[in-house]
Amino acid sequence: MLRYTWKRILTGILSLFVLVTVTFFLVRLIPGSPFRQGGVSEQVVETIEQEYGLNEPVLTQYFSYIGNVLRGDLGVSYQDPATRVTEIIARAWPVTASIGITALAVSVLLGTGLGILRAVTKRRFVRELISAGGMLAAGIPGFAAAILLLLVFSVKLKWLPASGLLSPAHYILPVTALSLYPAAMIARLVGNTLDSELQKDYVLFARAKGIGKWQIIFTHALKNAYLPVLNYIGPASASLLTGSFVIESIFTIPGLGREFVGSITNRDYTLILGLTVFMGAVVIIVNLLTDLLCAWLDPQTRRAYKKAGDSAK
Amino acid sequence: MSVLDVRNLSVQYPTENGAAEIVKDISFKVEKGEIAGLVGESGSGKSTAMLAVMGLLGERASVRYDQITVSGEAPVPGKNVAMIFQDSLSCLNPSVKIGRQIMETVRSRRKCSRKEAASRSQELLEMAGIRNPELRMRQYPFELSGGMRQRVVLAIALACEPELIIADEPTTALDALVQAQILQLFKRIVRETGTSMLMVSHDMGVTAALCSRVYVMHGGRIEESGTAEDIFYSPSEEYTKLLLRDARGGSLSGMKKEDSLAGQADKCRAEDEPILKMEHVTKIFDASEGIRDLSLEIRSGEILALVGESGSGKTTAARILTGMLTEDEGTVYYHGKVLDRRKRMELFEGRVQMVFQDPYASLNPCLTVREALAEALEAAACRKSVKTDRDRMMQARTDEKIDEMLRMTGLTPEDADRYPRDFSGGQRQRIGIARALIVEPEILVCDEALSSLDATTREQILELIFQIQRKIGFACLFISHDMHVVRRISDRIGVMYGGHIVETGKTKKICADPWHPYTKQLIEAVPEPDPIRAAKIKAAPVKDSADINPSGCAFAGRCGYAMECCGSEIPEDYAFEGREIFCFLYSDRHSGRRSSDYRMTSQI
Amino acid sequence: MLRRIRQHWKNYIGNSRMALIGCTILGIWIVLAVAVPLFGPWSYSEQNAEIRNQGASLLHWFGTDRFGRDLFTRVWYGAGISLAVGIFSTLINGIIGVLYGAVSGYAGGRTDMALMRIADIIYAIPSMLYVILITLVMGAGVGSMILGLCVAGWISMARIARGEIIKLKETEYAYAARMEGISPLRILLKHLLPNAAGTIVVNMIFLVPQAIFTEAFLSFLGVGIAAPAASLGTIIQEARSQMMLYPYQMIFPLIVLCVMLLALNMAGTAVEQRVGQHSGKGTGNR
Repeated sequence: MLRYTWKRILTGILSLFVLVTVTFFLVRLIPGSPFRQGGVSEQVVETIEQEYGLNEPVLTQYFSYIGNVLRGDLGVSYQDPATRVTEIIARAWPVTASIGITALAVSVLLGTGLGILRAVTKRRFVRELISAGGMLAAGIPGFAAAILLLLVFSVKLKWLPASGLLSPAHYILPVTALSLYPAAMIARLVGNTLDSELQKDYVLFARAKGIGKWQIIFTHALKNAYLPVLNYIGPASASLLTGSFVIESIFTIPGLGREFVGSITNRDYTLILGLTVFMGAVVIIVNLLTDLLCAWLDPQTRRAYKKAGDSAK
Repeated sequence: MSVLDVRNLSVQYPTENGAAEIVKDISFKVEKGEIAGLVGESGSGKSTAMLAVMGLLGERASVRYDQITVSGEAPVPGKNVAMIFQDSLSCLNPSVKIGRQIMETVRSRRKCSRKEAASRSQELLEMAGIRNPELRMRQYPFELSGGMRQRVVLAIALACEPELIIADEPTTALDALVQAQILQLFKRIVRETGTSMLMVSHDMGVTAALCSRVYVMHGGRIEESGTAEDIFYSPSEEYTKLLLRDARGGSLSGMKKEDSLAGQADKCRAEDEPILKMEHVTKIFDASEGIRDLSLEIRSGEILALVGESGSGKTTAARILTGMLTEDEGTVYYHGKVLDRRKRMELFEGRVQMVFQDPYASLNPCLTVREALAEALEAAACRKSVKTDRDRMMQARTDEKIDEMLRMTGLTPEDADRYPRDFSGGQRQRIGIARALIVEPEILVCDEALSSLDATTREQILELIFQIQRKIGFACLFISHDMHVVRRISDRIGVMYGGHIVETGKTKKICADPWHPYTKQLIEAVPEPDPIRAAKIKAAPVKDSADINPSGCAFAGRCGYAMECCGSEIPEDYAFEGREIFCFLYSDRHSGRRSSDYRMTSQI
Repeated sequence: MLRRIRQHWKNYIGNSRMALIGCTILGIWIVLAVAVPLFGPWSYSEQNAEIRNQGASLLHWFGTDRFGRDLFTRVWYGAGISLAVGIFSTLINGIIGVLYGAVSGYAGGRTDMALMRIADIIYAIPSMLYVILITLVMGAGVGSMILGLCVAGWISMARIARGEIIKLKETEYAYAARMEGISPLRILLKHLLPNAAGTIVVNMIFLVPQAIFTEAFLSFLGVGIAAPAASLGTIIQEARSQMMLYPYQMIFPLIVLCVMLLALNMAGTAVEQRVGQHSGKGTGNR
């Protein structure tokens, strides 16, 4: 298990490095200079570029950037030279993460609950209702849902605030918009896998040995049904944690997604790069954790790695 | 009062065109302390009937009955009845430890503390013949062997403290030796606990070995019922007779000619280079699987059978010969030439063909039978580069050949334009054989080609392979775990255990007089459809130490004749008049110095 | 050929009500998207200062936007662009993905490893970055949008195709074909891909709404298709600045977009259920 973990961490670091490299050169391909805006004179632009080392050869810039990243320094924002990229991340990420984690919790609870209900219920009507609701929620894009929610609940009914993130009430709309899709997907996955698990022989055998319905679902079937669901939840939580560009921009939430959109429109090289690196790292770490969790939860792989580890010693 | 009393049970399923009656008005009884048997082919409705008795059928089924009682009460699963299923691996939850699965049963039957449940579980596991139950309880189902899992399942059923255990094909997925052990275990349990048992099986031999009362089921009806002696010695219904005939498996119809052919074949053997030969081949997957230092040769026109339990490496050997797997060490010769290990399958150019075990997985569902056969022919034609007239002439000849092949394998030319999904398992296996033979291969490899089929279908396909082989005369490597099948079809046998061949020789000689202890066990473990003979069935000593000692004889761990040298040295190949045996019992050291005219006989 | 098509139709669609509804809506949407801009009385781009921000009327069914353009015409024009972007990018992504995945899966070993790592890295970069880069180089048009969606869009398809091929490569009929001496390319095309077709088709259908959605959301953020061309995303984005005053300008395109995506999802789900039912072994002889 430990060896497997190390191997995964190493490949993760390697992918992160390649990601930094590719993004670095991609960003340099964007035509136009970040400072050539609003009629600044050529003279000024050159001075500033010199100051940031932008007139040096690209490779030199690349190596100095890599060196900085290794020291944990993502550079200074071009747009706002007073703040460091790390500071921007430190400011924006907690905002994003707080919404993301809430949405994650909501969608996991709601999705699992509805999924179980769909698999267990004998009423055709309930089953179809959940399926149809799931399709609606999964089919409507997040931003459309966000706008509709906004129009209905804050513009028309004026029940909920439209922007910012000051009170718990502010969370309701963005969290709803964010969790609709994952909740629908989780409900569908849980429903489908649970359905097929309940067809299996061990469930029949458990019934034959006199175990009750709910005990079968919670101690037997759900345990096996949840592995594929975890495989979905992993990447989904990674994307929730790195922020949604659209939701944050619709509800004017000062999170990572909004910073990213802003950095691209402003051609703020260091910020784009820094955010990509940070988001990449979050995605890689979350995926790593998911894989390890899945491997650990599946007794077959767990034993296999244990065995491999033993023989390696 | 009977323990189980079922009267006029019917089960219907709604289908697109009306209701299908799977079980038609059947009645049966099981008395206290007896083992009753319900035999029938797959699809006869026996499993459905059992699930109906348990009350475990899905909502779609409509069940009607006048009476189902267990000692006068309604059956409650887990209380007065318990059930055991065929596949012990899928019956146990793969991600829950054995201990928990049995403890929850104990605790659902009666309120007790965790500790009490744990000690009760250990007791039950021990009763089911599992040694070291503490260790087993901490393991997951996949870490146990098939036989051990079936013991666990039995222990769980016993944890319900039922009056009746319904066992649905409990030994079908097991090897003959393990099956014999489990059958003995069932007998012991019934004797010791006084539980009654209803044994559902398609296997007449298994039924004969266990049951005192037998019901024969066919097409949803009970065709015949009576004591075991009645059913097996004086059956009255035509269907029962048919079942018995297939189970006894008389000699194949072409067999008589074989004697005359054998003489010719013997002559060929002396002169001919073997078509395929493997020498000292080793391929290891896991600590206990794969093959080790295996040598084998197939000569033209013969049927060589490899027999052994699952995990003995016979399929691995076949796959290496065909090139589906590459060996770690050793060489494979084809007509005396060594072919490139990685490209062997391509270099054979269709001269080695295979019939697979699973008729559902071995045909491409997207191609009609004609397309599949034509493709094989085309590939063969391309190689021979007879592209002179690849237009209508060619097409007509292809079609002709396909029709001929289909007729030969017992299908009709009209079947050619249908898709594999339109055929039954046996028919698919025929298609598989047709596809393999249409390119006129030198060697046909049949990898457990019969083991997924019903007894009757199995007889037909066995007959078919034998007939065609005698007609066309290709060499055949026949892989099977079933001694009964192998004995009838093959010219020569190689008995495998733990990745080694332990004994080879002429089929007749080996079956009549096995020399190697394992061969003997294997032959004796096959239950015959004869209650008196089956009652004497011997179960090999229960040694679960299937761990193979790589520095000694593979079989030493389970051998009743094991000597000191068996654990420390690997036996060599001792050859006596066409028979080769890998056992120290036949070494010079053991049998003493022999004079030149000494005739070796069986040492066991 | 006709028999095969009917066979495929039966295999994939059957007589599912959901598929019927989805396909009908899609059909209507396509007809409207083609007919309204072509034969309607208004132009999607002509501005008219006299009729700015008018609500829905008999003359302008969806009203007009802040430049006085007929919204009905614009919405259907945009829907057409969105659909075209979705379908074209899916076709390209599907073909690239299936080929890449199939080759990677069939080759196996190091080749597979290298190809999949490359795909992983392309996938890790936000597609927004690609689209912006391409728009900056090529200009903000439909072409650059499709191209932008195709840089990373094929990867999910490649992964699916690869998984299927790896699974099918080990089937007994694939081995049988190899034993017959059939060339690898033919095995791939004739034995493996047709059997993977179900999964591939299902995922292709789901790629279309995904691509439409990505396009809409990029256009909504202002980095996608720009004037004079307009997609639904662009129209929604234009309406955003006066969302509080004239919400209808946003609601109409939103509804058209949502119904379109729903119809696609319905069709996809129906096929998924159908193909899922069909791939089980042993279902044939019942």
